[in-house]
Amino acid sequence: MSRRAAVVGVGQTQYRRRHSGRNTAELVREAVTAALTDAQMDLDAIGLVVGGVAPDALAGIDHVDMGSIARPGIPYFRVNTGGATGSSAFLAGLTWIAAGRCDAVLVVAVERMGHAVTAPKVFNSIFDPIYERDISLSTLSMVALRATMMIQKYGYTLEQWAHLAARNSELSLLNDTLESPRRFSAGDVLSSGVISWPIHKLEIGPVSEGACAMVIAAENRVGSRPAAWIRGASGLSDTYEMGSRISRAEGALVDVVTLRRCAAQAYRDAGVVDPAKEVDMVEIHAACASSESMGYAPLGICAPADGPRFLDSIVDGTARIAVNPSAGAQAANPVSATAMIRIAECALQIRGRAGRRQVDGIRLAVATGQGGATQFSTAVVLGAEPS
Amino acid sequence: MNARPVYLHGAATSVGWGDSRRSLTDMIFATVTDALRQSDAHMDAVDSVVIAAHDLIDGRSLSSMVTAPAAGSYLKDEMRVDEDGLVAASFAAARIEAGEARLSVVAAWGRASEGAPDSVSRVGFDPAFEKPLGLQELDISAVRLSAWLARYGDPGDSRAAATAARSMRAGRSPRALRVPSRDSVLAYPLRQAEGPKWADIVVAMIIGAAPSPVRVGGVGHATDLPRPGERDLVGMPALRQSAEMALRGSARGIDSIDLFEIDGMTLVEEALALESLGLAAPGHAFEHYALAENVNRAGGSAAAWCYPAMGLMRLAECFHQLSGTAGATQLDTAPRRAMAIGSSPLGAQTHTAVVLERA
Repeated sequence: MSRRAAVVGVGQTQYRRRHSGRNTAELVREAVTAALTDAQMDLDAIGLVVGGVAPDALAGIDHVDMGSIARPGIPYFRVNTGGATGSSAFLAGLTWIAAGRCDAVLVVAVERMGHAVTAPKVFNSIFDPIYERDISLSTLSMVALRATMMIQKYGYTLEQWAHLAARNSELSLLNDTLESPRRFSAGDVLSSGVISWPIHKLEIGPVSEGACAMVIAAENRVGSRPAAWIRGASGLSDTYEMGSRISRAEGALVDVVTLRRCAAQAYRDAGVVDPAKEVDMVEIHAACASSESMGYAPLGICAPADGPRFLDSIVDGTARIAVNPSAGAQAANPVSATAMIRIAECALQIRGRAGRRQVDGIRLAVATGQGGATQFSTAVVLGAEPS
Repeated sequence: MNARPVYLHGAATSVGWGDSRRSLTDMIFATVTDALRQSDAHMDAVDSVVIAAHDLIDGRSLSSMVTAPAAGSYLKDEMRVDEDGLVAASFAAARIEAGEARLSVVAAWGRASEGAPDSVSRVGFDPAFEKPLGLQELDISAVRLSAWLARYGDPGDSRAAATAARSMRAGRSPRALRVPSRDSVLAYPLRQAEGPKWADIVVAMIIGAAPSPVRVGGVGHATDLPRPGERDLVGMPALRQSAEMALRGSARGIDSIDLFEIDGMTLVEEALALESLGLAAPGHAFEHYALAENVNRAGGSAAAWCYPAMGLMRLAECFHQLSGTAGATQLDTAPRRAMAIGSSPLGAQTHTAVVLERA
């Protein structure tokens, strides 16, 4: 990156199934006010606002961002890359600073999917209208197809994912952004019913609403502010068709070529040679336990064949790396904001502001974002020191 | 402004209506391929793809899943803005300024024949206070004109002259739609010929760090109040602010601009922009539009229109003029500098301005 930059402010609303008593602008205002307060800045210092809102159909209002995020007098634009929207908005803000167009950017993502009475139909309509939509393919059946491939290719078991989901539910009790954290056992997961085999109901992140805002500042504006330095950031896009990705030369569908490549790029930018030894923490964007485990190897924190063993080490607490100390998207999944929350959680940990979920000694953290049919990937490396 | 200069290498535009032989992705792929050909560039050299697309216009919950690969995003660093196409161009330029990319595809599209843009625009209004009135995007244009007429009175023949001039310019543009499309129902006091020519449009441009005859001089963005009723619809301050920012970036005054390509859904926005920019005296927007040969040489929205492709289409027209490839709309003396202006829904709440100049 041509200019060094850091996260200096984070603000989040609580995440809950539905914010019935508050409109979108009110949610945004709470998150933005908290982020600016955290950054010790006011809006006059902001040179660009980037909005992140994923399917308009989920919000029920076209361009809901224009009346809730866009701020008169400040340049504004919106990014939409599906599930990766939040992290893409972050990357867009970072580009603006790196280009020298301004010194401080406010990135904001907001989700109102709890008000969509037809959310499964909205998600169904992301698929091809001729070949896929009529078979009722959904985001969950898409995840299930990958999970079966992971069972076949790497030997993951349903019990392992149930234990991982239970472990994450335990962590969710420490996350004060969750209004209703859920605690359950592996047995509860396995008896919760199959939504789309092999995915059980309790493995899946809940429908969630809420807003996340972050302030990114160029090095000259960081000053004495507590900072999470952006050491590396990258995004990559893939073909839409999952069938074309099952076993191609670049890597199998469940090896997530885009995540592997953009993580490698972000590590190169950050000077990270061996992520398994150097990275202290990862926040993996995954709304299901199986999807979380699909992210380990592409991030270089374990070898692909060691994925199941690495999962076990997370569950039994022997893993060196802190994985999703926030409980991840399995605890709250406000689609437009989820990928931004992963970056925000890394920034909070590095800045020592994660509250009860704070993990000691986090100096280098990685956040991922995934969108579309796992075809849009982002990776952001944050550090306690600049590169 | 630019740490690294940004150059434009080529542009391609595809305009049609309801061609059932080609899908939207076919149109995108063909247009991006054409832009690469115009630029003597190959996809292997492209390291950035920036697109402007809108889910509800494209009829999908996540349009870019299918459309981005058609624009060349396979295993590339691709970004989709849910904005006007000129925002995509600005963002692609920022990537090059930042050193993040060296060669970028920029593409934007809208296929009016497949969807219902009027209906889509209705769901952008406030559900409690505006939507029950049945408002659509074009109604803001009618209200804007009403406000202008109330302030300055009937402009006499100049409004009809501006309409005729716009139609004549569209008629000679090689990038205009020449078959019937769909007529919109326009609210008073708009006249039918002042409305947009709905079309299926894909625009693609190739921009990069390697020198070419046309470069980006400056970029500006500005944002207005969210509710149309709260805004100065006549003065369009965000348009003026975006242009001023772009001019500051290019270290030039507005007098140095030889050509203006301004996106407006109707003649009203195109003409009133001239007052906002200070090119026309207050109350003389239509008169100036009719006489100015250096404004919307390709006929503006009378030639073809569909959000969110239009800002990029205006930029492509500027590029063609600066590189002498505009065809029948080419100015007699190729301009040295041109300004493209794009706008967002609803009623142009945000504006983007880009100054291009001959290198």
